[in-house]
Amino acid sequence: MNVGDALPPLEIEVTRTLIVAGALASRDYQDVHHDPEAARRKGSPDIFMNILTTNGLVGRYLTDHFGPTAVLRKVAVRLGAPNYPGDTLVLRGRVEAVDGETAVVRVTGDNGIGRHVSGTVTVTVPAGGAR
Amino acid sequence: MSARTRDSLGGRAAVVGIGATEFSKDSGRSELRLAAEAVRAALDDAGLTPADVDGLVTFTMDTSPEITVAQACGMGELSFFSRVHYGGGAACATVQQAALAVATGVAEVVVCYRAFNERSGRRFGSGVRHREPSAEGAALGWTLPFGLLTPASWVAMAAQRYLYTYGLTPEEAFGPVAVTARRHAAANPAAYFHGRPITLADHAASRWIAEPLRLLDCCQETDGGQALVVTSVERARDLPRPPAVIAAAAQGAGRAQEQMTSFYRDDLTGLPEMGVVARQLWRTSGLAPADIEVGILYDHFSPFVLMQLEEFGFCAPGEAAGFVAADRLPLNTHGGQLGEAYLHGMNGVAEAVRQLRGTSVNQVPGASRVLVTAGTGVPTSGLVLTAQG
Amino acid sequence: MGDDDGLDDDLHARLKGYEGRPSTVAGAGRDPVNAPMIRHWCEVLGDTNPAYTGPGATAPPTMLQAWIMAGLSPHTGRARPYEELLALLDEAGCTSIVATDCEQEYLRPLRPGDEVTYDSVIESVSPRKTTKLGTGYFVTTRTDVRVGPDLVGTHRFRVLKYAPARRPAKPPERRPRPVVNRDNAGFWEGVRDHRLLLQRCADCAGLRFPWLPGCADCGCPDWDTVDACGEGTVFSYVVLHHPPFPAFEPPYAIGLVELAEGVRMVSNVVGVPYDKVRIGMPVRLEFRRYDDELVLPVFKGVTA
Repeated sequence: MNVGDALPPLEIEVTRTLIVAGALASRDYQDVHHDPEAARRKGSPDIFMNILTTNGLVGRYLTDHFGPTAVLRKVAVRLGAPNYPGDTLVLRGRVEAVDGETAVVRVTGDNGIGRHVSGTVTVTVPAGGAR
Repeated sequence: MSARTRDSLGGRAAVVGIGATEFSKDSGRSELRLAAEAVRAALDDAGLTPADVDGLVTFTMDTSPEITVAQACGMGELSFFSRVHYGGGAACATVQQAALAVATGVAEVVVCYRAFNERSGRRFGSGVRHREPSAEGAALGWTLPFGLLTPASWVAMAAQRYLYTYGLTPEEAFGPVAVTARRHAAANPAAYFHGRPITLADHAASRWIAEPLRLLDCCQETDGGQALVVTSVERARDLPRPPAVIAAAAQGAGRAQEQMTSFYRDDLTGLPEMGVVARQLWRTSGLAPADIEVGILYDHFSPFVLMQLEEFGFCAPGEAAGFVAADRLPLNTHGGQLGEAYLHGMNGVAEAVRQLRGTSVNQVPGASRVLVTAGTGVPTSGLVLTAQG
Repeated sequence: MGDDDGLDDDLHARLKGYEGRPSTVAGAGRDPVNAPMIRHWCEVLGDTNPAYTGPGATAPPTMLQAWIMAGLSPHTGRARPYEELLALLDEAGCTSIVATDCEQEYLRPLRPGDEVTYDSVIESVSPRKTTKLGTGYFVTTRTDVRVGPDLVGTHRFRVLKYAPARRPAKPPERRPRPVVNRDNAGFWEGVRDHRLLLQRCADCAGLRFPWLPGCADCGCPDWDTVDACGEGTVFSYVVLHHPPFPAFEPPYAIGLVELAEGVRMVSNVVGVPYDKVRIGMPVRLEFRRYDDELVLPVFKGVTA
């Protein structure tokens, strides 16, 4: 775990199922995450992924990479281009700072439209825990 | 069948005049005017006048009818007028038609022309979204609903198979074709890319258009006109320029031939229709690949240059990329359609004539036997032109 | 997005008055932290981290907000200032809401059985901004989540509350139509019935595609049809990047599919990212409806 290390990218197929199931798993019943007609009335071409799902995927991306002993300390994300059904989200990460067992990883997620998410994750990886 | 026996057209007629407009992104004038300018320039070059012309040949795709060009150029009666179909596949066939007319006495002086505002007007590269339900329209209709809509994409389907079959990357296979064309164009003041050569790295870095084709694998869509004057070798003797004798001229269509979408036959790694042309040209001219000093091979997209070299037997299947990279044959010395201009192949015939006259900007010393081909991926045509010997 | 500078924005002045005031007081999670919700979450996100299962399991930290979502039931503890703020925005036409930023800090893991409570404060309200979705205001709240007296996490959340941009009522772009004539109408009738029909020569029994009124091998004009079994492989493919066309979003893959019966057809390879399509990839026929008139036979990539 060194500054500048790149995490291998993670591709997520943004299916309609993922969007709807992610919204429900996070108890988010905003209609724009499950009802295409309602989404269109609100200026969106289709339903789109909710922020909790994106947040969860970013968290998964980090713990997938650093292993089950890794502990997330902070996750800060900003959303840009929405994740619409049929798109592919590609998460990428790079270690930005390391302080002992704790690292700050800059994460981006791009889809076919542009940058869906950018943010930073602070994660503690006990010695020997990092792959 | 002429595809099987030597024909009797070889050596009967010659290209005696060439003329073109400038090649640009926006001509600022009508396609008819471009055609008339090119025809007049070609007649001047030949030392002939519009009154000498009794035949005209163009492409079915051309928007300027023979009778209208005749009026605009001050020609009189025509005894022969003809058009050839299948886009750029018509290029060398217009000369074949002219030669047939001249050899049989149907006409004495025939001008072949092609002029369009293909850049500032309707660009072929902008694709097709609709076709009428004719047999021809229906043939393309099998691909349209799926988004296979552009010439680059139709070529890319075969190019992908070629790379797969021979284990090549797009960069190593197609890069040398683009670099060679642009090297020649760089020295050609008439070329669109005059003074702008590229490297293999430039090619590899250019953006995808229809994978595996990149931007630098695609020709430069152009406004312009090109004309060629054909007459008998006897009459050519009295004219000022050295004639480019039509040693052989051929058309070719393969089995299960389509226009740009011959996806349903063979292995997609060759151009069987060009194979038909090649057999006839070699047979009628009595020449072989080793006799050819300059190759002007239709290059609207780089991959089909490789397949043509293989169909003509310049090298074995799968070896053309290395053949081009090693500069084994001077190729597309005007810069090709990748570098000079996309004039539906007619500018390539003019370059062959210049090579035989000794006036090319990239002259091959003493060139006396030149191969020229027409549009690829479609029913096509070819010429072997030779210096008077 | 951009500031609507220079606009006289009385509303913003009123909204700013809510900064620093509570948005939730003594809210309580609807359910204790629990294994079923954790399992659903992990299942949906494809998160196989063993830390989230079995004895001693913790909840994924990023579920923090999920424990305090109101769902379809009324909010508990929603404070009056926040209700007023939302009402002002609704009255101004900013009836839609979308989340834009989330910053969470996790002080200790949550475990099944933990009962969370929370308090939120309105941190800031932005000036009026115009975005692709519409014009509105970014509202930032900060939530402290506790279990008993212990602060277990903080959650800063920014939403855009906006008036949806009016989109010109434009009919959706449609794919190019098949070119149907008397020679091939039978094929497209078959497609409508979810059948992929190949022509079979009445004389030499050769199968052919595309449809033509005669056999390219023997010239026989008579034929019947057989149903393709639907299995095939990618014989070649193109990834279209440029130019873009209505109803297609580049990059996309178009395959030349060789059917098990030996004939080829151009179609789309679906269910596989465009950059994962390969020559030799097995594919299986399916029928997709693209609009009220158009059904197409497409091929789903079969990945190992």
